[in-house]
Amino acid sequence: MKISIEKSEARFLLRLADTSTILGQRLAEMCSRGPILEEDIALSNISLDLFGRAEELYKLICTIENASYSPDDLVFRRNEREYFNLKLVEQPNDDFAWVIARQFMHDIYAKAVFSQLVNSKNSELAGLAAKVLKEIKYSYIHSKDWMERLGLGTEESNTRLQRAVDHLMKYVEEIFMFDAVDQENLADCALIHTTWENDFNQTLAACNLVRKPVMPLTMRDYRDGFHSEHLGTMLSVMQYLPRAYPDAKW
Amino acid sequence: MDTGDKVWEVFVQKKGGQPFKHAGSCHGYDKKMAIQNARDLYTRRGEGRALWVVPADAIVSVPFDEEDAYFDPGDDKVYRHATFYKIPDGVNYL
Repeated sequence: MKISIEKSEARFLLRLADTSTILGQRLAEMCSRGPILEEDIALSNISLDLFGRAEELYKLICTIENASYSPDDLVFRRNEREYFNLKLVEQPNDDFAWVIARQFMHDIYAKAVFSQLVNSKNSELAGLAAKVLKEIKYSYIHSKDWMERLGLGTEESNTRLQRAVDHLMKYVEEIFMFDAVDQENLADCALIHTTWENDFNQTLAACNLVRKPVMPLTMRDYRDGFHSEHLGTMLSVMQYLPRAYPDAKW
Repeated sequence: MDTGDKVWEVFVQKKGGQPFKHAGSCHGYDKKMAIQNARDLYTRRGEGRALWVVPADAIVSVPFDEEDAYFDPGDDKVYRHATFYKIPDGVNYL
């Protein structure tokens, strides 16, 4: 299926929607694998919030593009190179520390982005952003809390969280390489970057973690549909059923 | 920081002004984790606007094996209910 998305606003929202979908899917993979029952449910709740957010964003995109495709088509009938999520959120659930570090890095970013979208000229988007912001604030409380618990917990928990942060830092730089589409749709891109840096650095320091320099990378931008090795296998699982049985109904 | 898993009893208030009702229990290592876990377990579907968590060991209950001694003597004493009075005419709310 050929899905083309042309308008600047739709292209911008697709990045947010895909980021929500992929992170939601990663958290859904944690269902029944949380460290304790309560945390298992907490992660599933956040996953559902992300899917709900993605669906609303996809609907907005379909409206803006006056599209013949549906949100389901966008999720299940696009290939890896047609996905525009942050590479950060497709990183696997290696252990619980990875889940938490990835979530925290995402949450400070998402909080900064949606705080600006609350003032969008598109009233539907502004309304959605206000609702979404409440969800993100809770998710942020939750992920920051676990950063502290793991960072200040035992030697083992600190080591694991540090390892997760070290790995995930590679995927942070691209988040702030804003392009024209970002500039057109966000009031203040630079503010998103500084807010993120401040919060992240303060939290690392408070949690007894260090930020190591990242080697220069040759990875290409998620905005052009480039990904790490993980997205393809993820999509093949996520899209298997509707691809194999295109007329399946439930 | 507290260490060690504990059980907490969860109370949910549906709206301001209403009583808190026992909803169930949850695990948590400390107050902060307990209240977040309670939120995720018991208020996902708009069940309430306020939450209490109480360490389960802070709640005192009648020992199960003394249930008879505590409660049976109250069963056959209907006269302890104030139902033997004649309500005077004109009293609407009693």
